[in-house]
Amino acid sequence: MASKFGLAGGIPERRVRPVWDAIDSRQFKNALKLSTALLAKFPNSPYALALKALILERMGKPDEALSVCLSAKELLYKNDSILMDDLTLSTLQIAFQRLDHLDLATSCYEYACGKFPTNLELMMGLFNCYVREYSFVKQQQTAIKMYKLVGEERFLLWAVCSIQLQVFCGNGGEKLLLLAEGLLKKHVASHSLHEPEALIVYLSVLEQQAKYGDALEILSGKLGSLLMIEVDRLRIQGRLLARAGDYTAAASIFQKILELSPDDWECFLHYLGCLLEDDSSWVNGVLNDPIAPPKFLDCKLSHLPDEMFDSRISDASAFMQKLQADTSDNTIRCPYLANLEVERRKHLYGKGDDDKLMEALMQYFFRFGHLACFTTDVEVFVEILTPDKKTEFLEKLMKSSESPSPVPAKALGQSITLLKVQQLISKMYKLSESELEGSACQMVETYCKNLPLSKDLDPQESMYGEELLSMVCNVLVQLFWRTRHIGYFVEAIMVLEFGLTIRRYVSQYKILLLHLYSHMGALSLAYERYKSLDVKNILMETVSHHILPQMLVSPLWVDLNNLLKDYLKFMDDHFRESADLTFLAYRHRNYSKVIEFVQFKERLQHSNQYLMARVEAPILQLKQNADNIEEEECVLESLKYGIHFIELSNEIGSKSLTFNEDLPSRPWWTPTSEKNYLLGPFEGISYYPREDMTKDREANIRRVIERKSLLPRMVYLSIQSASALLKENIKVNGSVSGPKISSDLKFLLERYAKLLGFSFSNAIEVVVGVSGGQKPSSTIASDLIDWLNFAVFLNAWNLSSHEIAQPDGNGHGHRPGAWHIVDSLLEMYVLEKVRSMDPQICSPCVDLPILVQLVTEPLAWHVLVLQSSVRSSLPSGKKKKKGGSDQPNTPLSHAIRDSIQSVCGTVEHVTKWLREQINRPEDENLETILSFLHKKGQNEGGPGQVFKILETSVSSINETQLGERISQAVKAWSPVDVARKIVTGKCTVASKFLKICESKLKSLHAMKQQIAQV
Amino acid sequence: MTTIRRFCCNDLLRFASVNLDHLTETFNMSFYMTYLARWPDYFHVAEGPGSRVMGYIMGKVEGQGESWHGHVTAVSVAPEYRRQQLAKKLMNLLEEISDKIDKAYFVDLFVRASNTPAIKMYEKLGYVIYRRVLRYYSGEEDGLDMRKALSRDVEKKSIIPLKRPITPDELECMVDRFGWCNHSSYQLVTSCVFYLFLSLLILVLLRYNISL
Repeated sequence: MASKFGLAGGIPERRVRPVWDAIDSRQFKNALKLSTALLAKFPNSPYALALKALILERMGKPDEALSVCLSAKELLYKNDSILMDDLTLSTLQIAFQRLDHLDLATSCYEYACGKFPTNLELMMGLFNCYVREYSFVKQQQTAIKMYKLVGEERFLLWAVCSIQLQVFCGNGGEKLLLLAEGLLKKHVASHSLHEPEALIVYLSVLEQQAKYGDALEILSGKLGSLLMIEVDRLRIQGRLLARAGDYTAAASIFQKILELSPDDWECFLHYLGCLLEDDSSWVNGVLNDPIAPPKFLDCKLSHLPDEMFDSRISDASAFMQKLQADTSDNTIRCPYLANLEVERRKHLYGKGDDDKLMEALMQYFFRFGHLACFTTDVEVFVEILTPDKKTEFLEKLMKSSESPSPVPAKALGQSITLLKVQQLISKMYKLSESELEGSACQMVETYCKNLPLSKDLDPQESMYGEELLSMVCNVLVQLFWRTRHIGYFVEAIMVLEFGLTIRRYVSQYKILLLHLYSHMGALSLAYERYKSLDVKNILMETVSHHILPQMLVSPLWVDLNNLLKDYLKFMDDHFRESADLTFLAYRHRNYSKVIEFVQFKERLQHSNQYLMARVEAPILQLKQNADNIEEEECVLESLKYGIHFIELSNEIGSKSLTFNEDLPSRPWWTPTSEKNYLLGPFEGISYYPREDMTKDREANIRRVIERKSLLPRMVYLSIQSASALLKENIKVNGSVSGPKISSDLKFLLERYAKLLGFSFSNAIEVVVGVSGGQKPSSTIASDLIDWLNFAVFLNAWNLSSHEIAQPDGNGHGHRPGAWHIVDSLLEMYVLEKVRSMDPQICSPCVDLPILVQLVTEPLAWHVLVLQSSVRSSLPSGKKKKKGGSDQPNTPLSHAIRDSIQSVCGTVEHVTKWLREQINRPEDENLETILSFLHKKGQNEGGPGQVFKILETSVSSINETQLGERISQAVKAWSPVDVARKIVTGKCTVASKFLKICESKLKSLHAMKQQIAQV
Repeated sequence: MTTIRRFCCNDLLRFASVNLDHLTETFNMSFYMTYLARWPDYFHVAEGPGSRVMGYIMGKVEGQGESWHGHVTAVSVAPEYRRQQLAKKLMNLLEEISDKIDKAYFVDLFVRASNTPAIKMYEKLGYVIYRRVLRYYSGEEDGLDMRKALSRDVEKKSIIPLKRPITPDELECMVDRFGWCNHSSYQLVTSCVFYLFLSLLILVLLRYNISL
């Protein structure tokens, strides 16, 4: 290229360098100056223009940048003599991409390639454009052209990947794979293959067509030596053999792998599966969700004759014996756990022997019982035992613990395992309260007693016995659920806070605390704990489910806004850069990653959490600005009046959602964000096993998104409807006229009603019935917020529709009845929630989120309708002076006035309650909290026992035993501080909510004054 | 019970239990994906029963001439699976790939000077402190550059310790100077712009006219 001889885009490089230096050092003003000077010298250089456009874009002037880009493009097209090099085009491409005009960049490259059809560099640029656009067919065509031009292996593979992408991520039929295979075959015949990744792709093309034999032949031929890691090659071979149904050969390959890496558990499962001729993990289409694989591996065994089963099983056992004997590495668990799996298969076959299984479990315990992963390792196997045998197993374990390991850390590990198995087997809910209390006390005692073990550890290292405190918390919460005695709950908090004082890095404690604080209504404190987890980047997708759902219904808008903004930015950034990374994989010839990257991007794009956040972010904006109709209208304008969200609502039904949340890290009482057992009565559930709820969740979340994404548009139309009321048929925003608003809003109301499970007319009947007291208030309790939204929008629609029959029969001109419905519903439910709120400081605030939603959603939208009505009834501006004919519509004005009055009263109930909460003396609050922890009598049960053990251990620390660091930390622990934090946390939430209410009141009072002047 | 296999994108959605550890950095996506796109053989995950992620290692191979070496960018194990020598197994794998497949001279890594437990572990694995890099971590804490010679470095020249500490600017970044070559946290903080805006990075490539 020209630039290789000191020219960059036709300009001597020494002239371009200063511009780049300025860009590099982010001195964009200077860069602009230099580039303008450059342009003066080279006015017809598209490269100089592209540079300028880039700088302008970086300076935040997208419009100017785009126009400069377009001039550059025009120059390129117009003047045939102009140098058309890749440097110019790729610079232009970046500018276009940053300006969200990928299509223009592509067309530049298409044009250039048309002119210079043999220029490989340009074609690669064009290929890159198609990668960015996810145009797989065009990618394929371009790659083939390049391949024909130079015959290089990599371009062929680019084409093959593009074909695979059409099949997996596009609409290409599987027949296309035949084409890919043909291309590869021909190339291999003439040139062979030189890259391991090329071979992997070749094999995958064959495998995808179920041509296992062909694939195996290639793998065992000369090409097979491209795969230099032997285990990797064997894994592919074993898989191909198994899929081909040659189980004997496959089993012997997996056996070979196990000889090379005896700890490979997955391989062992394949080995055993093949030995037993079980195809369940090889059949096409039974792909499990790679993110949340099932705990219980499915097996198909019934087809094997009895003797054969026995002999295969004994082969497997013998091989495991051999592996055990051959290995000296005592960290290798696989050959030992394998014994358990063998017993499980026997059980599934109908030849189970509980005693043998128990024996194998005991053996595993003797060897690995001290490891933290023991319980999760054996969980699925313990499940098989009958209840009696489980108890027997537990007894055996207890007996063995009478002679613990002489190594203290190991002995501690074993005793923790024992406690964990106890929880696993006895299912917490079956234990009596005193048994539970006893077990919690025992755990805390063990923790305190073993603190000296961690004396010499680095503060960064996990301490011995850390998980004990999480287990204590689990038991205490179970006790709370059962007895409803808040003392247990507070105790759980104290225990974990104690643990964090000693070592502040334990993320498990933080997660548990976050949920405890959330449940208590001290959400600001929960959020603090969440922040201390330092959740960022991809962890936002997998971890933020711990806090996001609670935040969405809280008054902590600033924090929520940050959460949503950071998360959406992360996801959108990834979607933007993902194609570049895909191209990087192409360039570095890691073809298998190409497909992986594209599929991964799709997975994230379908993330339920992402779609939810995309709807919730604008709704939050609407909530935040709802007290000022002008600001709200600006927000709505920026949201294109909610039209895109209607599209989302239309599409969501056909979208498959992905669930990427790391659910196993959630506490037992809330296995998903939709579920919280503590809200319901005690029903005998503890944390094993967790059900897979993905299917239910998917349907539920689809419904929620479908409903929520209608909101922005409905808010917009309601405002319009209310203002169109007095200015009939005035064109609004130049497009939507009164009747159109009315019909649009009606259409959405019908849809909204349908989503609530009712026809439009039935839904009206429901709200009328409930507001008038003919139907019980519980009728709409399950979807309360949605129903009230419906009532609010119904009233707004009614203002301009003139359709609805008078609900209460007393026909005033503008149907104040509909106003009344909204007013009374809001009042009824707000009062109900305020009354139901427990006045105690540390009681869980179950109803607070609903109250917050009532005020910040339906009530807020209704205040907007009021604002819009008041505004349009005011003698405002020039129009009024000119026309001057608008008479205040008396019945309507009355209705508006009454409604304002009523809403004011409703909000005041809330503010009164909030002030009471906030103004309660702190000492009183602290005393209440701490009183739960101190038992009155000596021998009664109840909360406080665990806490007492902590207090005792704090007061009797032995500094020489514990070491300075831990002693200092223990001394620093202050339950009063924890209690104070809880109080402050709750007050913070109350104050934020109060602020929101006060702002609403202010807006309502202003309206009162305005309407009084009419 | 360790199935060690290549790390793939979906593992990013499953490694929370490992990365919630305060010493484990969660990088941005282009960082992980660049490693996957360029050095897939240096990015491995260890899985336990039930396909639980036990830990992972990420690294790369880079340098010229006798500086051609494997580099460990991150190695981390979930709390539940610690004290089982998993980190050692992962390190051995990366060393083997550097040694046998890429024929590198040595493997190196950076560690916080205060992270005594990690330093001790690396020493046990045969690494020696090659040099100290002043204020390597976020411009605050010193980093230690530790090395282990591979079979190709017969005379073990690559691990003769340097006498004086160096500054981050003196670190040779051998693949190119545009951020691909990550010197862990230092680069992450000082030139995160490269990771945040991949297109900018390509701009730099353009600037120096490095052909694709």
